[in-house]
Amino acid sequence: MNANAEAPNPAAVRAFGSERRKKWLRKLYRQRYLQLMALLGVAWMVVFNYIPMYGILIAFKDYDIILPMSQAPWAGLEHFKEFLTDDNLGNVIRNTLGMSLIKLIVGFPLPILFALLLNEIRSARFKKSIQTISYLPHFLSWVILGGILATWLADVGIVNKILLALGFIDTPISYLAEPRYFWTIVVTSDIWKELGWSAIIYLAAMSSVSPELYEAATIDGAGRFQKMRSITLPCIKGTIAILFILAVSGLLNSNFDQILVLRNSLNESASSVIDVYVYQTGIADGRYSYSTAVGLIKSVIALGLLLGANYVTKKLNDTSLF
Amino acid sequence: MGTKRKLLTSLLAATTVLSLAACSSGGNKAANSGASESAAPPSASSAASSSAQPSGGDAPGWQADTSPITFDWYINFSWFNSKWGDDVVAKYVTKKTGVSLNFIVPAGNENEKLNTMLASGSLPDFITLAATDEAVRKMISGKLVLPLNELADQYDAYFYKVADPAKLGWFTQPDGNVYGYPNASSSPADYEKYGQSFTSNQTFEVRKDIYEAIGKPDMRTPEGFLNALKLAKEKFPEVDGQPLIPLGLHEFTDTGNYSLESYLQNFLAIPQQKDGKLYDRRQDPEYLRWLKTFRKANEMGLLAKDIFIDKRPQMEEKIAQGRYFAMLYQRSDFATQNLARYQKDPNSVYIAVDGPSNAALDAPTLSGPGISGWTVTLISKNVKDKKRAISFLSYLISEEGNKDLFLGEKGVTYDTIDGKDQFKPEVVDLLNKDRLAFDQKYGASYKYWMLMDTNMNLQWAPPSVEPAKQLEDWTKGHSMSMSEFDNLDPPPTTKEGVASSKNARLWGKTLPKLLLAKSDAEFDNIFDTYLKDRSDQDAIEAYRQQAYEANVKKLESLNK
Amino acid sequence: MFILKRRTPGEAAFDWANGVLMLVICFLTLYPIWYVVVNAFNDGTDGMRGGIYWWPRQFSLDSFRTVFQSSGIMTAMGITVAKTVVGTVVHVLFTAMVAYALSRGELIGRKLYMLIGTITMFFGGGLIPTYLLIRDLGMLDHFIVYIVPAMFSFFDLIIFLTFFRDIPDGLTEAAEIDGAGDFTIFLRIVIPVSMPVVATIALFHGVYQWNDYFTGMIYINETDLQPIQTYLYRVVAQASSNQMIAAMPSGVAVGVTSQSLKLATMVVTTAPIVIVYPFLQKYFVKGFMIGSLKG
Repeated sequence: MNANAEAPNPAAVRAFGSERRKKWLRKLYRQRYLQLMALLGVAWMVVFNYIPMYGILIAFKDYDIILPMSQAPWAGLEHFKEFLTDDNLGNVIRNTLGMSLIKLIVGFPLPILFALLLNEIRSARFKKSIQTISYLPHFLSWVILGGILATWLADVGIVNKILLALGFIDTPISYLAEPRYFWTIVVTSDIWKELGWSAIIYLAAMSSVSPELYEAATIDGAGRFQKMRSITLPCIKGTIAILFILAVSGLLNSNFDQILVLRNSLNESASSVIDVYVYQTGIADGRYSYSTAVGLIKSVIALGLLLGANYVTKKLNDTSLF
Repeated sequence: MGTKRKLLTSLLAATTVLSLAACSSGGNKAANSGASESAAPPSASSAASSSAQPSGGDAPGWQADTSPITFDWYINFSWFNSKWGDDVVAKYVTKKTGVSLNFIVPAGNENEKLNTMLASGSLPDFITLAATDEAVRKMISGKLVLPLNELADQYDAYFYKVADPAKLGWFTQPDGNVYGYPNASSSPADYEKYGQSFTSNQTFEVRKDIYEAIGKPDMRTPEGFLNALKLAKEKFPEVDGQPLIPLGLHEFTDTGNYSLESYLQNFLAIPQQKDGKLYDRRQDPEYLRWLKTFRKANEMGLLAKDIFIDKRPQMEEKIAQGRYFAMLYQRSDFATQNLARYQKDPNSVYIAVDGPSNAALDAPTLSGPGISGWTVTLISKNVKDKKRAISFLSYLISEEGNKDLFLGEKGVTYDTIDGKDQFKPEVVDLLNKDRLAFDQKYGASYKYWMLMDTNMNLQWAPPSVEPAKQLEDWTKGHSMSMSEFDNLDPPPTTKEGVASSKNARLWGKTLPKLLLAKSDAEFDNIFDTYLKDRSDQDAIEAYRQQAYEANVKKLESLNK
Repeated sequence: MFILKRRTPGEAAFDWANGVLMLVICFLTLYPIWYVVVNAFNDGTDGMRGGIYWWPRQFSLDSFRTVFQSSGIMTAMGITVAKTVVGTVVHVLFTAMVAYALSRGELIGRKLYMLIGTITMFFGGGLIPTYLLIRDLGMLDHFIVYIVPAMFSFFDLIIFLTFFRDIPDGLTEAAEIDGAGDFTIFLRIVIPVSMPVVATIALFHGVYQWNDYFTGMIYINETDLQPIQTYLYRVVAQASSNQMIAAMPSGVAVGVTSQSLKLATMVVTTAPIVIVYPFLQKYFVKGFMIGSLKG
């Protein structure tokens, strides 16, 4: 940076500098089409993401939709304070993080495992059928699925019938009425709904692996599990790492639609999550400033989580977002 | 390195400038439009309560021009699923007035759609939304809607001929203007005229066969109530192999439960005010006595878990199955299922009976139609044709318009039968059998309810039929207007409003705990904690009291 | 056959266990769909009594008839198909193009572009500023509002990026030596060898476009430009408008939508997108990249 500090001959340095600049310009010219491609994307983001970002300012204002944002009076950090000093905050964060962490620990590896096992199916037709069938639940909307789950999990529902018949329980349980089952219900139904869908991307990654690698390993006498461990997994490692980083950054998010249809007055203590709480306290009443403030807190934390996870995966296995 | 950094900063600067520019331009535009709006001087003419009508304008304005025009009409109810022009009524009205409508219905969260329109200041020609909606106040204060009285003065004096002065008076704003006209609204005068036939949606229902089998017990006292639930459960532990639910209620929401609030309080005839002061009905001893009765019911195993977790679709299913013995519930939700039950076995339907009463066994005071009505319709300042818009509005609120929308076209959907204008038999038949098909084909009977006058239609409406008739008839004579208690809550963005919704959620959390309490002592504890934890209650009450007094004053002036 | 012969007993056992496990997963995911379908084919009022698990109790096509009779449903289906097809093609090409540029290590300013993009994943202006922007761009009530504001996603870009990074450098270098420009390389080499990820993102975005009702609700007032999801939302919404109905005069009948009608609407509105996947599956074949190279 400070190139001329020790330089005895400024002219030479200038020549050197201009030489570098020339080289740089040449490089830039060579990649002008690449730059055009990238800048088109940047331009799109500037228009559709960055221009509306002034809306974040209302987190620090008292915005009423009737007046333009610029005329709203400043409120300072009041909305942030209101959220951070809320009595329910602890419980809400506990539920949000609790469910998200279980989803991350259990729900994240399962689609990978499923994709790996599916990949081992020999019959192409069987494989394709399972692939298609397993992704179907993704298309059931939560409003309707919630109704179905409520029927099945009721004291006279099919789940109790099965468990009673198998002798696992003696008396029917109203599962949605008990806070202690809530997290399990949420995580299980989510995994069930998204298993096949989430596996798609790993299957795509696996189909990019060169068959020659497998052939070579077979000749070397490698077994199925060895091939899985030493070829398939390393080849999709990059995809796994990236999706993991993105999943970590979403820890504070919940599946709003899902929680909304499954929560009720009895499981409330286990089912209040940030998104639902902000909906009740802010969005439902049209308090845009307050909900924007909470959103901003969440965004900052999410960005931090992303950078953190990115740093860790970079150290551990040399893949990163950037 | 150096160049890289420079590039970075200049790019960053560029984006900042861009976004700043966008910010200020957006702001300016909005500010400009705001300025132009406020530039128009607020009219001093208050036609609302004045009896002096502009002279020479008796002919209906809509007849003057029947050239084709299409108005955009926003309906703030996502379930409203009608397209103008497919049915007899729509075709008839368009033929008559030249007006076609393009309904804009948000297929999603209504508030989101409405708020984006409000924020951008661009509303379609007509807007219909709940009379109590916060957005009504916002549209008026933001000057996004036109005063109906000014429009009428300028374009269509016929409006004053067909509009009810009492309703105009009730909806007159502090600036002297009227911005919205209600539907399903009943003034005090209407009460004198039709009061005996007014119904309420609030009912206490029991399953007829079970109720008769346990000897038609009196359920007005706590003892009788608990005993009846117990008898029903003992005698009929199961319905089609599934456990009987002795008592059904509305859905528990974040803010409580209708059945255990206004329904119960109205059944107990607890006053809403005493000597001009709003009364906290929740602290009324009668009310607490009955809440404790429900608690006792839970202790006796008479409250099923289902009632705490079920949402409306599950409840609809259970009504169809006849799983409930008794319900404190809106009768409109029984219609479809009760009909199906009736066709199978007339004895297995739900009927209305006397429910929980106060110690003096006073008759219930149920919430009936009020002057606020259900929705209001407003005309946007962006309306394409002011004259046609106000004329069409006048047509819709007139008796002629109401008749067209309710009965349809003479000879097609209705005729004069036995000296009375009424639906043709096959039309009534379809109405009673399949409302969906009826709406699609005829569109009568207020499929387009935006400006319906529910009192006018009494002369044309086909008589109710069983099993709905019994439920409806039971509420007659018990229904009263509660308009003075409408819209008392502080706006949600104010300090009082924030506290008020916080308290509402606190109550929503407390209520199930009260019912699940192990003993009356625990109940009292929980209730005391609730009272203590309410925030800013004094400020909220002061606001409500003030709003109430303003309502009372308005109502009094209407009676003059 | 060649491979089958070489199966060790352990591997055979694994294959069996794996096959059984897959069948179980199949059943667990298929059954709820089956449940939805049989209930949709059951009579509405009868269906309210519940307890239909395997087969319709009173078979009826009424629910489907009602759905198809809804006015304008065919126009809405057309809009949805059009926005899904056009939206997906534009989204995939545009996002992949930007991703390709960013996958090239030598791109000047790459880190900055990545930073700009990463921020968009977390910070946004919210609904109202976006609405005002779309209005000022003149996109309200235009079909284009379904396409342009959705043509790029940084999230999808990252996924493209992870795949593009694995493309051997030799491939593009060879093309460069042959004198191919960047656009040619992108269209003729990068896209064809990346069909698995292209198919994946196409599927993701196609499903998003198909299911998205929000854009239509907020930015479109013209009934004839509304997507099919509008219908699904409406029949489902009645369940959630409890509060409103409580305040409503009893004269207005909002007919109770039976569960059958809701399910039938869902079947009709989702079936077309569901059958797309099997057609995309040929791009998920093992060794796709190499195969296309040789060909």
